[in-house]
Amino acid sequence: MLFGINLNNLTDKKNITQLQIGESALITAFADGQIAAKLMAMGLLPGTTLALLHKAPFGGAYYIKINNHYLALRVNEAKNVLITSAS
Amino acid sequence: MSVQKYKIALLGNPNAGKSSLFNQLTGLRQKVGNFPGVTVERKSGIIKDNAIDVEIIDLPGTYSLYPTSLDERIAVHALIDSKNRDFPDAIIYILDVTHLERHLLLLTQISDLQFPIVVGLNMNDIAEQQNMYCDEKLLSQALGIEVIKINGRTGENMAMLKSKAIDLLQQPISNRQVFYTINEQEKNIAKDVALLLPVRNEYHALLLAHHVKRSTFLEQNIKQQLLQINAKHQFNPINNQLDEIMQRYNAFVPIVNKVLKRSFDNAKTLTDKIDRIVTNNYFGPILFFGLMLFVFQAIFAWSAFPMDWIDLQFANIAASLQASLPDNLFTRLLTEGIIPGISGVLVFVPQITILFLIITVLEEVGYMARAVYMFDHIMQKFGLNGRSIVSLISGGACAIPAIMSTRTISNWKERLTTIMVTPLISCSARIPVYAVLIGFIVPSYKLGIFNAQGLVFMALYLIGIVSALIASLVFKKVLKSTDVSFLMLELPAYRKPHWKNVFFTLYEKVSSFVFGAGKIILIVSIILWFLASFGPSTAMKTAENTAIIESSLMQADSATTQLHIASRKLEASYAGHLGKCLAPIIQPLGFDWKIGIALITSFAAREVFVGTISTLYSIGKDADNLTIKQKLQQEKNADGQPVFSMAVALSLVLFYVFAMQCMSTLAAVYRETKSWKWPAIQFAYMTGTAYLVSLLVYQFLK
Repeated sequence: MLFGINLNNLTDKKNITQLQIGESALITAFADGQIAAKLMAMGLLPGTTLALLHKAPFGGAYYIKINNHYLALRVNEAKNVLITSAS
Repeated sequence: MSVQKYKIALLGNPNAGKSSLFNQLTGLRQKVGNFPGVTVERKSGIIKDNAIDVEIIDLPGTYSLYPTSLDERIAVHALIDSKNRDFPDAIIYILDVTHLERHLLLLTQISDLQFPIVVGLNMNDIAEQQNMYCDEKLLSQALGIEVIKINGRTGENMAMLKSKAIDLLQQPISNRQVFYTINEQEKNIAKDVALLLPVRNEYHALLLAHHVKRSTFLEQNIKQQLLQINAKHQFNPINNQLDEIMQRYNAFVPIVNKVLKRSFDNAKTLTDKIDRIVTNNYFGPILFFGLMLFVFQAIFAWSAFPMDWIDLQFANIAASLQASLPDNLFTRLLTEGIIPGISGVLVFVPQITILFLIITVLEEVGYMARAVYMFDHIMQKFGLNGRSIVSLISGGACAIPAIMSTRTISNWKERLTTIMVTPLISCSARIPVYAVLIGFIVPSYKLGIFNAQGLVFMALYLIGIVSALIASLVFKKVLKSTDVSFLMLELPAYRKPHWKNVFFTLYEKVSSFVFGAGKIILIVSIILWFLASFGPSTAMKTAENTAIIESSLMQADSATTQLHIASRKLEASYAGHLGKCLAPIIQPLGFDWKIGIALITSFAAREVFVGTISTLYSIGKDADNLTIKQKLQQEKNADGQPVFSMAVALSLVLFYVFAMQCMSTLAAVYRETKSWKWPAIQFAYMTGTAYLVSLLVYQFLK
């Protein structure tokens, strides 16, 4: 296995909404299975690095970059992506 | 020798360049229809090759075999339902080399379904710009699938891809790597499913068990039995789905690392730089509204000339036919019913073309996804989805294609709400009505740099937009939904528009209007012509005689007499009767029976209002707006008051802002929702609002 998946919702973990604009982080796990399934199909995998590039002008959405592609996530989607600071 | 018929499906992730490739493969020999039961466009094209006939089907893009929206589900059903009309004999898979990992997920899934596959490796030129290189021979070896480097935009290696795909039809599948090994529990489920349904292999059986709830192609009793199988084995679809995706990534990430040479430099890409401005907190929204202003400016300024030209051409054709053909019923049907009907459809082509040209280009370069991202949150507050913004903007041209564009919204409630409120956005057919009536509301004078009439025009558009948002709020409260709502939107890297794609999309949208809406507009205009030309025969004769006597009393010249006869006859016709029946209902709004007739005839398309009013007031067909306005201003009713007072004009114009005066839109809503319930509700709430608003305005101002 290259990377494992952790479905336990650990409250002390950071998620995307807690990142500063421009900050990068490593995806560690997802908090919700259904959202995880869809996010993983779109290339968000545990072990990949993501960067938060922008927040939407009227709030509510996050603009992230993973490898060389870009995704927009809603707050409740972004909250489900658990991360640790990139070393 | 009999001709063998085969189906090859074109499959890939969204944004993989599938439509460019489809256009390259089939050119203009493509057919656009609908997938059965839904209005998702089904594009197919025929390739002939010696003794075989191959139909190429462009399946909607999807990220995996686990769909989340209607069009993704169509693609998946075509692959797992062996009785599906589009179940392919082979698959051409479009793989975007710049997003190899993500796009390999679906490929390994269909590979495990044992389809014959050839891979078109696309976007190599962009990969080169990003210092990426993919060894397609190694990739082909690792997958056990033929891989060909192609360029969907230039058509490079298209012939090779085509011939390899055709070869697949006669070759057995050679040894492939299996990417997903199913576990004991899944094996048992698959065994039970295989007893119930014909399956290709265990993975196929498992997918059928997974998708049972949304599988419209299964009979009810089969569904029940599948659900029982799932319950018996305590099948948890989400967990299995996650395990499967992880296992697949684990299997192909090492392959990617082996075949792809790349360097992730942290340098800012062009897209990074553009989006610093385009999605900026302040500049982003300003740019968006600037673009919208540009769109509306373009619709008004650039379409006036071609619209007048189309109008004139058809008027000339009708006139010359009238002069050269014998004066009989057929000639009149042709020159007064059919030709004006066609003209009424085609006159909107310039506006619709311009709007969709701009929308398509914005979509092609990648801007629309940014607009969706920026406004999703606001749209959510109104019970809509960020994607609704594309439909609402398209509604400014014509509600029909706008309603069709809602299919990318995966949440049913959000999609339905978008469908229900889009017709409140003032479409191009309202413009002629507004243009004639606005002169009665305010005179043309300058307010600073603005023209007062221009401001009223803008206000009417704003009322449309605001009321669409208010209606959304109501639907948000009323409609129930258990569907989860997603955004999860891919923001594609900015790229130059591919003009061939723009052309094909534009061609499709415009022809869907001309042949979809146009058909209904034409039929309704013929019916309305009949209603307006015929009546109880004695009444029609009396009307003509009365008109002749009245004209001679007024010592009118022959042209005026003709106009007067036409007006009197329309009054005596079936349409006139309908108008008079309507009169008591619409009288509180300030409308007389003549306006009643126009309300009925404009149900074909709103702009018919202008033509009907011109006939009723004996203005003549070729009059321009100015003449119509001047003539209408002179019209007095029985007590000497002008018919078109400010109160009546405002009441009428607001009626057109709100009322559901469009047969074709209702038909489109029926097709999208597959029920007459929603078009009926839409008609009731829009026309009801129109009635109330007009009533209040007229009673207050008169």
